[in-house]
Amino acid sequence: MNHTELQDHYELYALGLAEEPERDEIRAHLDRGCEVCMAEMRRARELVTLLGGSAVPAAPSPKLRRRILASVGVEHRGFGWTPLFAGASALLLGAALYFGGREADFAREVERLTAQSRSQIIELTRLNEAFALMNGADTTVTSFGEKKPVPKGKLFYSPSKGALLIASNLPPAPAGKAYELWLVPKAKGASPIRDGMFQSESDGTVMRLIPGPIDANATAAIAVTLEVAAGVDSPTLPILIVAPLAPALQ
Amino acid sequence: MFLLPILLAFRSAEADAALVVRLQRREPQALAELYDRYGRVAYSLILRVVRDAGIAEDLVQETFLRVWNRVQGFDAQKGAVGPWLLAVARNRAIDYVRSAGGRDRNTVEFEETGHPALYTDMESGILASDKARVVKAAMEKLLPHQRQVIELAYFEGLSQTEMAARMGQPLGTVKTWVRAALKTLRDELGAQAVSA
Repeated sequence: MNHTELQDHYELYALGLAEEPERDEIRAHLDRGCEVCMAEMRRARELVTLLGGSAVPAAPSPKLRRRILASVGVEHRGFGWTPLFAGASALLLGAALYFGGREADFAREVERLTAQSRSQIIELTRLNEAFALMNGADTTVTSFGEKKPVPKGKLFYSPSKGALLIASNLPPAPAGKAYELWLVPKAKGASPIRDGMFQSESDGTVMRLIPGPIDANATAAIAVTLEVAAGVDSPTLPILIVAPLAPALQ
Repeated sequence: MFLLPILLAFRSAEADAALVVRLQRREPQALAELYDRYGRVAYSLILRVVRDAGIAEDLVQETFLRVWNRVQGFDAQKGAVGPWLLAVARNRAIDYVRSAGGRDRNTVEFEETGHPALYTDMESGILASDKARVVKAAMEKLLPHQRQVIELAYFEGLSQTEMAARMGQPLGTVKTWVRAALKTLRDELGAQAVSA
């Protein structure tokens, strides 16, 4: 197959849409260092990467950076068992590197265990963050939805650490939909502030950490609505959860 | 709008080469710098795919660890780490939604490290043109169904057969839409930026 015949297939390949026999043909050309195909694929790759430009800009929580660095052994912050898991992960990684060339099967198993260990670190870190907030000296707790069938739960609020929303009876969102968190300002007429999308678990439970200080003088409550999966700028009724930050502050 | 961080991220391409060398020397601080450059871009991309902030953060972490673990096989003289990282991020996110949806992994997944030279020229191409407006204009030139198939392919990793099933359209129709959309994008973007 020559390059003219492949001309229309480079972008398809870069997008993951190429079909046989063109896919194998392009791959073979790339593997043998075909300069024409390399140039065409660079062009196609750039085109495909630019498609990411239609994604809405978003910022991860500040704690993500620390989590990532902790998982490679730096910036430990004393999260209980996390250093132990990180150490175990590092040992497994070291083992994977050592046996890499000679014991492929063993290395794959180590990689799997390493990934499992990493997942445990992520989950453990998340839980530790939640427990730290729940046990904070300045943490207060409010309940919501107690007199209604759905949904209900508790909101733990720490002025310095943030808020932790624990809810049940929040059924999985329909296809194309997701739950959106809002910070509801106290100021009259002020618009609620978006604070991220989430999905509930299959059993209807949810635990969402809202990290970072929240000013109770400016924020009245945490709210949840059901929106299109991409999120919206203003909440759509009905509001499913309204959890006051703290009764004493209302 | 979203292209701005991409542009800023890719602008540091020269520094990226040095960063790759430090990553290959296993300097954890290099990973911190890599995250500072590309963390937000990767997160935005992944969030668009998985639509859940918590899962997106987990996948960003997985992306950076994957780069950390595989950077030894990456040739800094031939490839640019930023585009590579974003390719890893997209693949991780699509893998996640496919497995969560009970679908097989995409069998045509692009090899992330197989050909690092494929990422070489992206910076110059992107920086050579005012891409933010150009890309927006190009996407707006697509017909709605053309834009939809491109988004289903890029953000959800659907094959053309899967798109046909999802959209309730004949496979041949979907293929025609995909090709027409790519041609429009190629004409609009390729002529102005790629060959710049």
